[in-house]
Amino acid sequence: MNDIAATEENMLTLAETNELISEMDDTGTKYLTFKVGGELFGTEIDNINEIIEYSDMTRVPLTPPHIRGVSNLRGNVVPIIDLAVRLGKEAGETTKRTCIIIVEMEDEGETMDIGFVVDEVDEVLDIHEDAIEPAPQFGAEISSDYINGMGKIDGEFVILLLLNEVLSISGLSELVSNDSSI
Amino acid sequence: MIKVKKKKTGLCEVDLDGELTIYEAASLKEELFKKIEKCKGVSINLSNVSELDTSCFQILIAAKRECDKREIEFTMNSHSPAVLDVMDLYNMGSYFGDPLVL
Amino acid sequence: MSSPEETFLLECGELLTSMEEALLEMEDNPSDPDSIGAIFRAAHTIKGTGGVFGYDDVEAFTHIVENVLDKVRDNEITVDSNLIAILLSSCDHMEVLVTKAVANEDISDDDKVVDAGLRASLNQYLGVTAPGTNTESTTEIVEGKSSVEIENTGSMVISDNWHISLRFDLEVLQNGMDPLSFMRYLQKIGEIVHVTTLHDDFPSLEEFDPELCYLGFEIAFSSEADKEEIEQVFEFVRDMCTLHILPPRAQIQHFAEVIQSLPEDDMRIGEILIASGVLTERELSNALNSQNKECEGVEACTPTPIGEVLVETKVVHEEVLNVALSKQNKGQLSKSAKQTVLRVDADKLDSLINLVGELVISGATANMLSNNSGDELLIESMSSMSRLVEEIRDNALNLRMVQIGETFNRFKRVVRDVSKELGKDIILNINGADAELDKTVVEKIGDPLMHLIRNSMDHGIESSADRIAAGKDAQGNVWLNAFHDSGNIVIEVADDGRGLDRDKLLAKAHEKGLISDGQVLTDHEVFRLIFEAGFSTAEKVTNLSGRGVGMDVVRRNIEALRGSVDVDKNEYGGTTVSIRLPLTLAIIDGFLVRVGDSSYVIPLDMVNECIELEKGERDENGMHGYINLRDEVLPYLRLRDYFDEPCTQKNNESIVVVKYGSNKAGFVVDELLGELQTVIKPMGKILQNVKGLSGATILGSGNVAIILDVPNLVQRAIQSNNVHGIKSGSENVVLH
Repeated sequence: MNDIAATEENMLTLAETNELISEMDDTGTKYLTFKVGGELFGTEIDNINEIIEYSDMTRVPLTPPHIRGVSNLRGNVVPIIDLAVRLGKEAGETTKRTCIIIVEMEDEGETMDIGFVVDEVDEVLDIHEDAIEPAPQFGAEISSDYINGMGKIDGEFVILLLLNEVLSISGLSELVSNDSSI
Repeated sequence: MIKVKKKKTGLCEVDLDGELTIYEAASLKEELFKKIEKCKGVSINLSNVSELDTSCFQILIAAKRECDKREIEFTMNSHSPAVLDVMDLYNMGSYFGDPLVL
Repeated sequence: MSSPEETFLLECGELLTSMEEALLEMEDNPSDPDSIGAIFRAAHTIKGTGGVFGYDDVEAFTHIVENVLDKVRDNEITVDSNLIAILLSSCDHMEVLVTKAVANEDISDDDKVVDAGLRASLNQYLGVTAPGTNTESTTEIVEGKSSVEIENTGSMVISDNWHISLRFDLEVLQNGMDPLSFMRYLQKIGEIVHVTTLHDDFPSLEEFDPELCYLGFEIAFSSEADKEEIEQVFEFVRDMCTLHILPPRAQIQHFAEVIQSLPEDDMRIGEILIASGVLTERELSNALNSQNKECEGVEACTPTPIGEVLVETKVVHEEVLNVALSKQNKGQLSKSAKQTVLRVDADKLDSLINLVGELVISGATANMLSNNSGDELLIESMSSMSRLVEEIRDNALNLRMVQIGETFNRFKRVVRDVSKELGKDIILNINGADAELDKTVVEKIGDPLMHLIRNSMDHGIESSADRIAAGKDAQGNVWLNAFHDSGNIVIEVADDGRGLDRDKLLAKAHEKGLISDGQVLTDHEVFRLIFEAGFSTAEKVTNLSGRGVGMDVVRRNIEALRGSVDVDKNEYGGTTVSIRLPLTLAIIDGFLVRVGDSSYVIPLDMVNECIELEKGERDENGMHGYINLRDEVLPYLRLRDYFDEPCTQKNNESIVVVKYGSNKAGFVVDELLGELQTVIKPMGKILQNVKGLSGATILGSGNVAIILDVPNLVQRAIQSNNVHGIKSGSENVVLH
């Protein structure tokens, strides 16, 4: 609200990105890239519903820190995950570039929307299969279980995340209930 | 053709006799229903009925319906052979519910 | 929901349920014609519809069942518990067959064994009686006739008699004809097997003219004569009567046509045809159904075959029709009652309720804005709209309300089977079956209730010998009671068994380390131990209970429904487990409070009172503490600290005193924001297991507020208190 120009600029980017996501056809594997804790990540756009601007959300007490809170998404209460924390990083500062990516996850036949916070959305692009290296056995900060592979864009590596693992509903809910049984 | 005895209890004992046919039907109907109008129960003796046709049989049905409507007792007894024949042909014994002596 | 097959599956489910209920009823009361009728009708409908869909397995098997039931109805087979058992198993098997058929799967080998076994048992019953029907069923199975052929053979009336349907014109007597003479004439060319004289058209006494004929006749007539000869009997009155003559073994459709063409709308054709032995009740039902065959599979007409057609064509009054069919199918009555019931996809209902929820929320926002605007007219119209919205919401929620009875009735079978299995004599008593609650709750309550009932039967109720030794009635009782209590529904599972054994429970609790040596517990506290995880007192594990998934699972399931569960001794010396549940999961009367910078909702029915406290009376900063509330110790929990909420706006704190069951505790909050009625939004799988939170709601501002789960929050606080041992003095606080 303080910086209308910046907000608008941000929203424009979001609108464009959302358009790109919805326009994508099925021919190649499209990735959305985004930055979390200074690192570049990517994920297949299949599961991504939309990207929304970061707004204040309701804290959920008694939950581990990777639960950032819950947000009202068109009348539905959607849990928002702090991806940085989930990946074992420091929770990032909220800036005007901070976004929430809403994905649709499936668990035992039920689908539900989950949001996750990223520092910045980068772009939507094709990554060819031969430009993807397998995940390193070690050396990456995050668990190799979460990594689909390493994409190369202009000589830079993008960590391609397995959202089904990172945001697996059963995994997350287990963490939550473990935490609550102190 | 018709005799009615009214008892203290309000029960009317009706004796029907003779040929009960369509020729008698209209007057029988009028008389019967006039006489049982204030009864608290109707019992019809049919022992002397020598002939019964459909029109007069319908009077019996009408009498039973009327008594049912007024929620008073309606019985027939001593059915003569002529009556039994009609009862049998029309299979109406169970409707009237009276014991029939064949 | 959309495809006819799915509708069939759904209806079969309902029919089998009613069949099962009726079977159980029949077991208690073997000669009850209503039960037999209901059972028969269910089987018949399943068979018929199965045939229409070409589900040969379903049809062939159900046909045998139907044949047996036919014999039962005709009193050729005596009902005994063995037969009931076979029929109950047949019910189960039919369900399997139907499910597989609809899913287009082959039946498994195991099912085939069951199939063969049941067929053998059923055929035994058929074997001892009339072979005709039996042959029919065997040929069908062996040759696997198509449904069309079966329809043809099946729809022929078995009767060897002619059927004569006769209606005289009013003037017939005045014209010198007497129906009696035709009867007599008929007797000359054959035998009148049965006459029904119709006098339903009699006018009132005033209008009654004995010279007019009000009678009609339905005659079953046995004769070697041909149709022409019979018609000739009525030669003289041909223009003074309406005559239908049906030959022996007429097609059922012809009967249907006659029934339809008869002028009187006030007569009991069906009953008469049955009484005269022309039609069996089944044939009548077929006859009436046959008119509807054209619209087979179309959902709208399947459930309303008889009533609509006949009533529409003014042939039969609805009540008359019901009379005619009542013996055969009491179920048909409830079926036709169901015509006024609209079957709606649960998803559609849910989405409606969701939308109404949205409406409530945005209504609240609009209300807030209008109040801020100060525009009187706007405020007034908004408030009348709010009222309407509230009514809509209440009505919408009401749509989801169902009676608990159906769920309860399911357990009759369970109790029956389990008591056989255990060799105990136990009856189930049901009270308050008409209590209503949300369908979602009903669906989720089944499993916990099942567990509780089995527990009662297995562990609670003693064997008959033990009971007699203890001076009790040999027959054990299990009660299922439901009643409303201040916005909640309470469901009790009670038994008159041996009750909980305090010593055994204590020993077990020590063994599991749930209590320490020095602890002194009341009976009630000891009993409540059964809800702790991994607590099972059964000395030997039967296959019914004691599988480790014990009462703690029950408790968790109940708590997931925002309910609570308690256990205690009852007046019969047995055990009563009471489950307290909200009537609906969709809405909550809440009390909105501010904790730090966030808003939270406390369920209003838990809020006892709110008190503002002087600074001196409580510790300023501790997470826990206690105050003196009218000489009672009230432990409190400072939610701001406990939730680790940032707080930018401090004013005087208040204590919300919550009460649940017999427990009281205080929540210290930063501001009381007032009552609200609001729609509960699930927080999704990830957050649903957070102990102490029961859901979320969207406030008028669009922000999400978390709803607190009071009992669990207090429990959690107690546990963390015990673990961390915070705060001097708080150990003395007994939260019970």
